Amino acid sequence: MADIISQWLSYPAPYDRILSMIGVEFHWAILQYVLGLSFMAFLAELIYLKTKEKKWLRVAKTLAKGFVIVFAVGAATGTASEFGLVILWPNLTEAAGRYIYFPLYAEIFAFLLEIVFIYMMWFAWNKLSPKAHIVVTFLAFLGAWYSAAMIVSVNSYMVAPTGIYAAYDPYNGWKYDQGYPKVALYVPNDVVQILNVTTLQKLGMEIAGKTDDSVIVLMPSRIVQRLAYESWLNYKVKDSILTAVVKPEYAGNKELLETPVKAIVDTILVNTIRHVGVYTVTFQSPVYFSSILHVLGSAMTVASFTAMAGFGLRLLRAREGEYKEYVKAGFKFAAVIALVIIAIQGLVFGHMQSIDIAYNNPEKFAAMEGTSSSITSISRIVGTEGLMRILAYGDPNAELPNYDKIPDDYCQCLVAPNKAVPTCKPPLIIHYLYYTKIGLGILLGLDALLVIFYIWRGFSIPSWVLKSNILAPFVAHLVSFLGWAVREIGRKPWTIYGVMTVDVAHTMNPPTVGTVVLVIIFFLALGAGLLYAVWRFIWKPGGE
Amino acid sequence: MDVPITFVALAFGLHIAMVNLGIALATLVPYFKWRAEKLGNNGLLKAARSLMKFYAATYALAGVFGTAFTVFLLSFYPKFIGLAGHLTFVPFGLAILFIALHFLTITTYWYGWNHLSRQTHLAVGILMAISSYIIPLGFRAVFAFLNTPIGLKLDPSGKPYLDVLEALSNPTLLPLYLKSIVGALTVGFLVMAGAFSYKYFHSSEEERRAAEELVRFSTLGAIITLIAMVLLGTWYGFSLMIVEYKFNNIFGAFGWTVGDGVIHQNYGWLFAFKITLVALQFIIVLYIYGKLRGGSFINLGQAKLLMSAGTLSLIVLISGELLNEYSQYPYFVADLTDPKIASALPEPVKQLLVDALVIKPNVLATGSELIMLTLGFLGALLVAAAFFIYLILLAKPKIEEEY
Repeated sequence: MADIISQWLSYPAPYDRILSMIGVEFHWAILQYVLGLSFMAFLAELIYLKTKEKKWLRVAKTLAKGFVIVFAVGAATGTASEFGLVILWPNLTEAAGRYIYFPLYAEIFAFLLEIVFIYMMWFAWNKLSPKAHIVVTFLAFLGAWYSAAMIVSVNSYMVAPTGIYAAYDPYNGWKYDQGYPKVALYVPNDVVQILNVTTLQKLGMEIAGKTDDSVIVLMPSRIVQRLAYESWLNYKVKDSILTAVVKPEYAGNKELLETPVKAIVDTILVNTIRHVGVYTVTFQSPVYFSSILHVLGSAMTVASFTAMAGFGLRLLRAREGEYKEYVKAGFKFAAVIALVIIAIQGLVFGHMQSIDIAYNNPEKFAAMEGTSSSITSISRIVGTEGLMRILAYGDPNAELPNYDKIPDDYCQCLVAPNKAVPTCKPPLIIHYLYYTKIGLGILLGLDALLVIFYIWRGFSIPSWVLKSNILAPFVAHLVSFLGWAVREIGRKPWTIYGVMTVDVAHTMNPPTVGTVVLVIIFFLALGAGLLYAVWRFIWKPGGE
Repeated sequence: MDVPITFVALAFGLHIAMVNLGIALATLVPYFKWRAEKLGNNGLLKAARSLMKFYAATYALAGVFGTAFTVFLLSFYPKFIGLAGHLTFVPFGLAILFIALHFLTITTYWYGWNHLSRQTHLAVGILMAISSYIIPLGFRAVFAFLNTPIGLKLDPSGKPYLDVLEALSNPTLLPLYLKSIVGALTVGFLVMAGAFSYKYFHSSEEERRAAEELVRFSTLGAIITLIAMVLLGTWYGFSLMIVEYKFNNIFGAFGWTVGDGVIHQNYGWLFAFKITLVALQFIIVLYIYGKLRGGSFINLGQAKLLMSAGTLSLIVLISGELLNEYSQYPYFVADLTDPKIASALPEPVKQLLVDALVIKPNVLATGSELIMLTLGFLGALLVAAAFFIYLILLAKPKIEEEY
């Protein structure tokens, strides 16, 4: 275990990665309630409009109060995450702002939609007619989901950028010898003119087509990442690997040699984004669709299991009467949603996500499945490798990618290796995180099934079931966190897979370890404060 | 018209107006509540609660426009944001941590009303006020750096970094920061005086007494802070004498210049506009204060005059911010034009700074469809926000609160 932890820490900027992980996870832990409870409150309000039963209005208000209280800190931690990205990963931020800015830009409107309608829904509840109010509640949850759709598209682009061609074929194995993984680029004709195409083809570049103003090429990632490295370290052409691929007649051109590499890379990337779609490029990431479904599913899981636990505890002490009817309605409502969503999340959304990763980021998939002889692989012990072949590739004869056969230097430009990156292989720790996540997810499914069974049997739920359910939200949070951990940790050493490594994205002035520790303590104290506020203002006054 | 910079300015203007109201409310609400409890003044307690409800419901609007400001900067000027990220860990970090704390204290203070003990609630209120003062300290440190990059250092390898202690000694920082805080209180006093003078004529007897007390308090507060603002504004003006480009652009039209005396962009008109409005506010509050000292309360016409002073204070605030930013256009760092500073920097740092700090928009973010989309969404959502504020402040309940 110590080996795999030290492998994870060996990639560049370990402390800042941990700081980012805590900051973003804190934000995400809260956001799940904004995404999940807002939708559940909307459904409860719809039921109230249809049935006119007051207990449903009360359920809707309880759920709404839950996400309104945490939304404030969610918004603040969103701002913190945004600034955290700027000050810890400024080169990534600059690249995102330059080339894939649109979802971040459009997210502002989502944020405004959330702010206006979430607070209108809560603070003006009695100033709107019931029908007008449900429209406002709909807009409140729509704002939250729209926001998630934008941000997840950027993250999906980092997981598998649009135009990535992975290095694995389930029947023929790794394709590193052919220069994969590769990235599709639209190189403007002006730039093509100065490049020695034959040399580039020998290095693995393929010509995939032409347009009026560009040549479409599949460029090996090891070249793309080197150019990203040189761009953000302010190299000029004279010091760049580009000198090896310019035509001889340009080799002595002083103006060209003094040109910043970033200017040439920028010309190519701007042209590529224009051709692919300025406003759609991130949404075309091959993992986007499954990612957004999986993210929303995760939020619904956490929200529904939390609501089920809360109403369940109330049920323990509720006496017969109007109050108990309300609590029972809330409990049943949350339990049904919990069971439905955990089933869809595991069997459909999670499955779709795994297939996308298997095809588009096979190195990470190899680490997730633990196909290395250097670790004790859970899938090998349990004997699910055959099942995984079918699940991932739909064929028992397909081969899972072998982690041990990934070259340590597949992401390196061999003539100018990046010494900050110790290995190109992803960290094996994600194998254990992934299988822990799956195990706990199954446990959650069984818990929801058990609760529904007792509800179906006439609501005679043993008190131990209700009491033990208090653990369910924590488990749901852990499952969700582990999912993100696999996604983010498993991408190392890349920040944008196939394009930019962690060291390039990182700030040139990182904080000291002491500062990182102080910030972490501050966030933990804030989290404790928020938990107290939820207990004091939602749980305590909510009694009979 | 430079559309990107207009969007940036619009978002910033809305953000700054709401943030300033927030700083004032975060300060005054805990004070009013404490005073009301001490005196047993139920009307004042109700007024404090209604002010807090307004703040709890709308503070996030300030946040969203702050986020819009940074996202517009990121989309239109990504190199600048990238460079700022490398240099500003401490000032931005400070602001971030206290934003998170401030939002939590708002929630705790609002929902803790009648649920927490008086002492605990007051402590949360004080924390809410203090955090509202520390957030602008971080941001104003960045703004002072944008005036003149004091604290920008190069390590032996030629890598630029920010010497935080030296950056804090920037002579434009302290007057700018203090002016911001006092300006926020001025806006808060004037808006509150206007709002409660209006409320006085639409309230029950108990609420009238509280409204009158608040108007008297706020009018006196506004006079004091307006005087302080003039002094601090003068101090800030003098501190800008080291930033020749900016100083000349603001004051050159009045014959006050430094250095080569060249006016690159004349923003004297905006300064004159702002000063005229400040003078108008002064006249109004002094006139109203004179009436109030007479013993009786003001009439409806005078209340409207006081409301107009509140509106003027918001215009002064926004125009002051725009003056501060536009007067260094087209540079993010005003002093980058100073040969003494620019020539002292070695390559490639010099080129890096020049590339990042000259306002030149991202070519991928200049499409007309993006502008139309922005106008459409912002327009619709601002209307929704206005409707929301109307619901909070003025609309009568349609259904009874049951739970």
